[in-house]
Amino acid sequence: MDQKELREWESRCIQEEPPACTAGCPLGVDARAFVQAMVQGDMQTARRILEKTMPLIGITARICEAPCENFCLRKDLGGSIAVGLLERSCISSAPRQGKILCLPSRGKKTGVLGGGPSSLVAAFDLAKKGYAVTLISSTSPGGWLSDMPSTVIPPEILAEELAVLEKMGVWFESATTLTPDVLAEVRTRCQTVYIGHDGELDTELCNLLANVAPETMALPEEGLFTGGIADAEHLWRYITSVAQGRAAALSMDRHMQGVSLTAARPRPRHGHTDLFTSLKDVNPKARIIPSTENDNYSPDEARQEAERCINCQCLECVRHCVYLQEFGSYPKVYSRRVYNNEAIVKGTHQTNTFINSCSLCGQCEILCPHDFSMATLCLEARQRMVEENRMPPSAHAFALDEMRAALSSQFELVRMAPGHQSSSAIFFPGCQLAAVRPDQTIALYHHLRAQWRDTGIWIGCCGAPAHWAGRKTEFREIGEQFLQSWRKLGSPRVLTCCSSCLQMFRKQLPEVDAQSVWSITAPPLNAAAPAKQLPLALTDPCTARNDKATQAAVRRLIADLGQELADLPLSGELTECCGYGGLMDNANPELTRKVLENRVSQTSADFLTYCIMCREQLARTGRPVLHILDLLFPETARSAEEAPLGISTRRANRRALKIRLQEEYFGERISPPEEWQGISLKIASELLPILEKRRILTDDIRQVLWLTEQSGRYFEHQSRGIRLTSARLGEVFFWLEYVLNGNEYLLQKAWSHRMVPAKVTK
Amino acid sequence: MSMSFLPEDMNWICRPCGVKLQPSTVELSYLGSVFSVELPACPQCGAVLISEELATGRMLQVEQLLEDK
Repeated sequence: MDQKELREWESRCIQEEPPACTAGCPLGVDARAFVQAMVQGDMQTARRILEKTMPLIGITARICEAPCENFCLRKDLGGSIAVGLLERSCISSAPRQGKILCLPSRGKKTGVLGGGPSSLVAAFDLAKKGYAVTLISSTSPGGWLSDMPSTVIPPEILAEELAVLEKMGVWFESATTLTPDVLAEVRTRCQTVYIGHDGELDTELCNLLANVAPETMALPEEGLFTGGIADAEHLWRYITSVAQGRAAALSMDRHMQGVSLTAARPRPRHGHTDLFTSLKDVNPKARIIPSTENDNYSPDEARQEAERCINCQCLECVRHCVYLQEFGSYPKVYSRRVYNNEAIVKGTHQTNTFINSCSLCGQCEILCPHDFSMATLCLEARQRMVEENRMPPSAHAFALDEMRAALSSQFELVRMAPGHQSSSAIFFPGCQLAAVRPDQTIALYHHLRAQWRDTGIWIGCCGAPAHWAGRKTEFREIGEQFLQSWRKLGSPRVLTCCSSCLQMFRKQLPEVDAQSVWSITAPPLNAAAPAKQLPLALTDPCTARNDKATQAAVRRLIADLGQELADLPLSGELTECCGYGGLMDNANPELTRKVLENRVSQTSADFLTYCIMCREQLARTGRPVLHILDLLFPETARSAEEAPLGISTRRANRRALKIRLQEEYFGERISPPEEWQGISLKIASELLPILEKRRILTDDIRQVLWLTEQSGRYFEHQSRGIRLTSARLGEVFFWLEYVLNGNEYLLQKAWSHRMVPAKVTK
Repeated sequence: MSMSFLPEDMNWICRPCGVKLQPSTVELSYLGSVFSVELPACPQCGAVLISEELATGRMLQVEQLLEDK
């Protein structure tokens, strides 16, 4: 990923866009953070937030007309948050939090004519930027602020803010009247001059202030700037004046530095933001009216009012995705992490696990207002990791091993229908259905053949694990191999039960006419939902998210069976992955457990699904889960409470299914089993979950024991009668502790590692 | 990882060598990194014993660390 691509990714995630209140504040005050601090009753933090952007805070917080409230998303849901009142509440409760830090002197002088609020703010901003500011006024500085009732601006507050300016180095001078002569004199000693409309200027000077550039507040004469152009009737008199003073100060700074006044200048947002905030679950709540006479909130009232704040955030994807929550941030930050991960030459790639944990399910893309796809971000990152040989070897090892086994001659079976020389269709159940439900696979094959006699069968794998693991070359080769075999069959229609297979065929092999079995199947005559079956929550597989036709077909089938469905809000295009997709379970089993717990917490109903891995994964939580085949073929139905099958059973089933089909359907002679398959093995039941967790197959165990028999090499305990052996299968070293009883191996322990040991010979 | 990982129980005989395993210097390598550790090994044929505790504990941690590099 290069910088340009990173920018493109980042620009799609709008979580860092300002909330409407900040976008509506001419001073850019972070009103959302301020109000959230007020929710906590933390006046100090609240004030600190105001101090970051608010000039003359004692005055501004007291009289700002709060245009932000105009843009508040609460507006029509009980009234905008009373940010202005909350600011007053804060300013009168918490003292100044931090010292105002000014940049070191730039050795340049600037002048400000007029003592109105806009002039004070221009002086404030310029002094902060390190300029020597001289402010000349004909009346006492403060202008019309001095006329405000003392209940609104106590005189001591104005004096305090003027003292602050003085402390910042602003030099106050007075003139009888502010005339063009005064301006001419100031110009002789200052590089730029600000003339505040809201000061008491004489008419001649006022006449010089025509034709101001609204964006920069620059006057036609070079080095002159103005602001404070708001009369007493102006609805936003104060905030408009000070915003203009600030805009002018920015221009004066740029002018004195000799840079463009407009290039890359932040544009006023006038309330516009791209931040999306869902108001779906926001209930109306009326604005809190101050109970005291002076129109100020009590601390309790302030908190109650602040609590009405929606705390505008997008986070549409994060709210729904356990994976995105797990890593504590949101896609914009995640894309930066992926970029940084690739940029690291030495050191720890802390984002590898993050990249490999995404289920690639695509829910975020549906939820995101700008279609940000974590799936694409993570998949492309995986592909680059594989290409650059940086993919952690163990990340997807087991799933890839499973896939390669399913594609090997030991397990794969491709046949025309018995007695047929051509097939108009071929049944491709998918590698996992064949492994988990061999009986139902055969029942479904029967059923399909009852409609289309010439339907062939293909027990194999579509290569999805290679795709999910980012192994482009291997995935392409699997696809090419598939096409070769498929063409040999006469390019038949491919009927599959598996949404992942369907997705892979449709995306990667568009010339293959692939269809979902569910969309072409009518229920068998004897099929029906069991009597008194409660409504079931139908979970769509994530790979069927965009396959509306299959979703609808499945619902029609279920309705035909008389099965009622319970409500499950996150279904259809918003469905959630079970943790099998994208190989999440391989890279991050602990996260998968959380994903599953979250999924079953969304309904109290039992689940129904039409993806066998969804069935097996969800069943791990203990929640009853049926597969649609359990309803379609009652004679082969499995209990919804049945625990998921272990990895070794799945592999044994797959092997047995091939043999059964070869014998029963095709009358073929079965090739003799591998020699290691003859090893007589007994495994203590308490060891089974450990083998499952460590992903050690009984096939692996038998192979290691057979290799031990061949080599005659093992360790024997001196007194306990146990033996220890090991062998390397592929990249993994397997260790077995066992007792040999006659010719039966009683396995007691098994473990594995990838590090390669070698004794140092001296 | 230059440490000793000798299991409490060292009473293992290598077959068919018929020799008791001895504490030995062993190099463990993975993804280009090599660590010298002390492990039980057959003094005759050099076969090394990796205990369950080591494989599922410290060794797994180091493997994961190296995989992230």
